[in-house]
Amino acid sequence: MSSMMKLFTRMFRIFAGLAFATMILAVLTQVIARTCSSSETWMNWFSFACFSAPVWTEELTRYALLYLTAFGVGLSFQSGDLVNVDVICESLPGKGPWVLRLISAVLGFLVCAILVLPAWTFVSIGKMQTSPALTVRMDFVHASVFVLLLSLALFFLARVIGMLTGREDGLPDREWDDT
Amino acid sequence: MDVFILVFVFIFGLVIGVPVAVTLGLASMAYLFVTDIPLVVMPQKMYAGMDVFVLLSIPGFILAGNLMNSGGITGRIIRFANAMVGWIRGGLGLTNIAASMLFGGITGTAVADAASIGGVMIPGMKKAGYPADFAAAVTAASSTVGPIIPPSVPMIIVGALSGISVGKMFMAGAIPGIMMGLAMMVTCYIISVKRNYPRQEWQGVSELARSFFAAFWALAMTGLIIYGLISGLATPTETAVIASVYAFVVGAFVYRELDIRDFPKILIDSAVSSAAILVLVGFANVFGWILVSERIPQAIANAVLSFTDNRFLVILIINILLLFVGMFMETIAALIILFVPLLALAQAVGIEPLHFATFAVLNLMIGLTTPPVGVCLFVCANIARLPLMPVVRAILPFLACNIIVLLLVSYIPALATWLPSVIFP
Repeated sequence: MSSMMKLFTRMFRIFAGLAFATMILAVLTQVIARTCSSSETWMNWFSFACFSAPVWTEELTRYALLYLTAFGVGLSFQSGDLVNVDVICESLPGKGPWVLRLISAVLGFLVCAILVLPAWTFVSIGKMQTSPALTVRMDFVHASVFVLLLSLALFFLARVIGMLTGREDGLPDREWDDT
Repeated sequence: MDVFILVFVFIFGLVIGVPVAVTLGLASMAYLFVTDIPLVVMPQKMYAGMDVFVLLSIPGFILAGNLMNSGGITGRIIRFANAMVGWIRGGLGLTNIAASMLFGGITGTAVADAASIGGVMIPGMKKAGYPADFAAAVTAASSTVGPIIPPSVPMIIVGALSGISVGKMFMAGAIPGIMMGLAMMVTCYIISVKRNYPRQEWQGVSELARSFFAAFWALAMTGLIIYGLISGLATPTETAVIASVYAFVVGAFVYRELDIRDFPKILIDSAVSSAAILVLVGFANVFGWILVSERIPQAIANAVLSFTDNRFLVILIINILLLFVGMFMETIAALIILFVPLLALAQAVGIEPLHFATFAVLNLMIGLTTPPVGVCLFVCANIARLPLMPVVRAILPFLACNIIVLLLVSYIPALATWLPSVIFP
């Protein structure tokens, strides 16, 4: 893996982890707040810390999941978690499997790259809307799909370049396991 | 013609090995090009597909399973299972299956089950005199009960696709999962008696009690999840996150086998696994929208119904199709692609969605142990250091037993629907 891809991989892993941590914290906030607000004793003793169950946690959880997917999807392609049916292509003789892996990566890159612009249009549609509870502009939320396609395109392109330069064979790469 | 392009590109993408999620996108894009529909519909539909409340619980359940897996539950569960059934003829095989059933109530992932339990049990069984192919076959076959006994990621996906609550889906899998486990134990016992496989001495009630208390905190997670879902006190997402916190506390502070420094890696790996599932759901939503707008599910239903409207035969056709696809395609991908079209057919002959969803998941789980693409089969053959074919031969009796359970669940709806109807009246 090139040093730039290592940097991207580390960056995407951190962002995916942060999105997941945000999800967990939002859910726990809801659970704790609801438990507190339903207990009078707790309310008396810790009224300063307790608040009624917030309405924004469900929205934040959903948006965090979208970003978790956006940042995690490229990594899932890299690691082989993004499943494919390889029973036919890997059973071909000679350079056949390598060629098909390359074609797959090129097609994957093209699909994502072509969709980047329509995704940007979708982002801009959200500019006029705000979410009901968090009141964030929806273009920030719609941008998760843009990031998803962009990151997947990046990892596909890295696979294509890696295969053409002989740095990798196109099979899933678990080098990031130590990051 | 438009639909032909959609199907052709989809099959072409699958055959050359493009990731299934991207293949769905590729086929959808080809369809949109020829029908002159603006491409902006794709990100829009992907967003709508992934922004579904039910799906929020997937990362939580994956994290809870991974944390428990790293927190020292495997040895404790095997010890408890061994104390229960190890004294019967073929005891280690039975222990293997019982451990998978208990494990399935905690992690719900077949591959994790095969790797964790197989890592301990396959070498242990070989050492005790069991043939390696039998040890690998028992482990692979029994690992498939994991995603049927709650919690279960495929059941959550089906819930999202059909609108059935996650609690109902989980409960619908409980009886079929237990039946499958028990049927495999009977199969294992019969083979063991026939081939005179060893048994261990009864270790006494005290060992049974000690091993139970050692595994108690791990086993209690199943109770916590089920209670969270059926009591209505928490949503599936909240239950999954609470289960993750519980798994962390048990692994790090009770069993003290989970290194806190490993937590970020487990968290991120769980996020990556979840992302792979969610992007599949996103692209499948575009594909599904095209199928529905072209009335493909109805066309499939009409085509089959013009041939037969016999409920018995339709269930058989659905099962054969799912078993065939499950042989070649990963479970969740197959489920996402086929569930909606086949649901229309099932409903046309009066099959309840909850019943259909249960036997569809059960069916596709069997695909995890069939060649040429049976992930659990590969994992176990690898641990046993065997080529695939001896394990395939050894797994045949277990496959037959699983197919019998599948047919029972397919033709007796109450096996799937009775428990949810009692718990969620």
